Amino acid sequence: MSKHSFRKLLVANRGEIAVRVIRACREMGIRSVAVFSEADAEALHVRLADEALPIGPAASRESYLRIDRVLEAARTSGAEAIHPGYGFLAENAAFARACEDAGIVFVGPRSATIELMGEKTSARREAVAAGVPVVPGTLEKAAHLDQLARDAARLGYPVMLKAAAGGGGKGLRLVASPDELEAALARARSEAQGAFGDESVYLEKAIVRPRHVEIQVLADHHGHAVHLFERECSIQRRHQKLVEESPSPLVTPELRERMGALALSLVARVGYVNAGTLEFLVDAERKPYFLEMNTRLQVEHPVTEMTTGVDLVKLQIRIAQGEALPLGQADLAQHGHAIECRVYAEDPEAGFLPSPGRITALRVPGGPGVRDDSGVYEGAEVPIHYDPLISKLVAWAETREGAISRMRRAIAEYRVVGIRTTLPFFDRVLRDPGFVAGDFDTSFVATLVARADERSERPVEVAAIAATIRAFEERRRSRTRAAAPAPSAWRAAGRREAHSARIGSRG
Amino acid sequence: MIFDATVLGRTLRVEVRGSDGHYSVNVDGETHEVSVSDVAHGFTRLRIGAHGHELGLEREGSGYRVSFPGDSLSVELAEVARGSAVPARRDHGPARLTAPMPGRIVRVLSEVGADVVAGQGLVVIEAMKMENELRAPRGGRLLELLAREGQAVEAGALLAVVA
Repeated sequence: MSKHSFRKLLVANRGEIAVRVIRACREMGIRSVAVFSEADAEALHVRLADEALPIGPAASRESYLRIDRVLEAARTSGAEAIHPGYGFLAENAAFARACEDAGIVFVGPRSATIELMGEKTSARREAVAAGVPVVPGTLEKAAHLDQLARDAARLGYPVMLKAAAGGGGKGLRLVASPDELEAALARARSEAQGAFGDESVYLEKAIVRPRHVEIQVLADHHGHAVHLFERECSIQRRHQKLVEESPSPLVTPELRERMGALALSLVARVGYVNAGTLEFLVDAERKPYFLEMNTRLQVEHPVTEMTTGVDLVKLQIRIAQGEALPLGQADLAQHGHAIECRVYAEDPEAGFLPSPGRITALRVPGGPGVRDDSGVYEGAEVPIHYDPLISKLVAWAETREGAISRMRRAIAEYRVVGIRTTLPFFDRVLRDPGFVAGDFDTSFVATLVARADERSERPVEVAAIAATIRAFEERRRSRTRAAAPAPSAWRAAGRREAHSARIGSRG
Repeated sequence: MIFDATVLGRTLRVEVRGSDGHYSVNVDGETHEVSVSDVAHGFTRLRIGAHGHELGLEREGSGYRVSFPGDSLSVELAEVARGSAVPARRDHGPARLTAPMPGRIVRVLSEVGADVVAGQGLVVIEAMKMENELRAPRGGRLLELLAREGQAVEAGALLAVVA
């Protein structure tokens, strides 16, 4: 592997992660190339990159998932390397192989490793061979319903159906009893086909009340590897992570050392290169079970960056350039505590339904210890076609208690108008006594959602007054339209609304 | 002008007088002096007595969605004639199932004429890569089913009617 610095790097992604990679490139003096679909022509990543090339229509399978178009954009722009971010082509072995064949550096592991670890059943076999404990389940893909029913009965309900090509909570179904199996299989296969183009599923025994803890690893092309400790990711809804933190309040120094060693054992066995994450479930007795390895950067990487002081994206790029890891395990330590909240365009008061649309007003928090990795701006349109993650809000402090207070302060400053976001829900999470005590598992969000919001003093009267005055002014204005309108505090707002309605109806 | 403002299921009677950013607002018999200013854009500043609030206001349904730091409330508005009583809320008549957001219909789970129970899944809609099951708003007969598999729908599109 030759060692030289990239002059130009293409980012095969969109949204906040594309922005994150572009920022790393800018700091490293590497020219960045964005790609974009027709829905993203005005997106933030396109505006921030040094160059930007269109790669097709809005539907991701016609643009961000088109290997040929991404590679063509790399050739046209003269990019020497491609960073895939996460999602889209990040764990697509065929894409990594196509990059290798085209002589373009893929910022990630070798295509053969992606293939091996991306197929969840072969990843489980590798883990077993490396001495890493796995969740009991099948080591092969399920062929048909009868076989699945027999395997499920053998493991004992509840069981988990999982997409073999999966990740990110798609194509995942908890099955509590035999009569739910057939319907769950159909939904899991349909989601798996839609998300990964592969409907294969396999079975795992469901661990009851587990915690989700993962280990970040980095490995170079010279046989050196380190782990960067754990991230706690138990605050999930439908297997989509919502809040992550590091360190985990559950993990003891002994467990941390053990999980780190297990992770490095699998890394060594498969000859892993670049950044990766091993996901574990940890049961009530603090026993870890390997779930899967994500052969890419994780959404929640900032909490590791904030507590270790390591820039994971820059190190990914340096490893891809052929450099040796500039640090050893002894150089790494966790300092303080970091929490990340995933700001999704979803309405927590309407069952987390997607909430695409135009962001009409936006104010982002700042101040000590606050980091907002966003992919949007005021006036931006959040399209219906992609994942609803618009930003990641991260708070760091010396202690967990301090990080919680700081995050709550940041959430109160964060204002998004025009779409619904998960921000109000995070305030509920952060003031929950169970969360504050560090006493929770992956059922936390479902339990919290089922409970009525206990906020006693919601600003009902203020909301009624504000809405009524606005309606009063609008009606009066429309009734006296013929006459010259008097100066009104509401006019500018009214004009803006009319304008955005026009733009909205065009698309 | 008098409005019935419904927030979180509670209906307040609100009367507004005034102009040019200064208003006298009566809420269920109590009067507040309110001043309003638009910040450069986006947020609206409301002062009620000594208390300041910075709000986001968006049109939603018959009223507005009002967003606060860490909270947002939906306000339904109905203008009422002076002297009329607070209207009773109607809970009878056909119930309409509408698309809560723009998306694509991936499955239709029932058919016209079928008897459905409240909460039964009728349509599966996909947006932002997640499938969401939309359920019958009440029990009864499925009078209309307008959703078609593969169809793209806008927010608010009528999908089914149960009566």
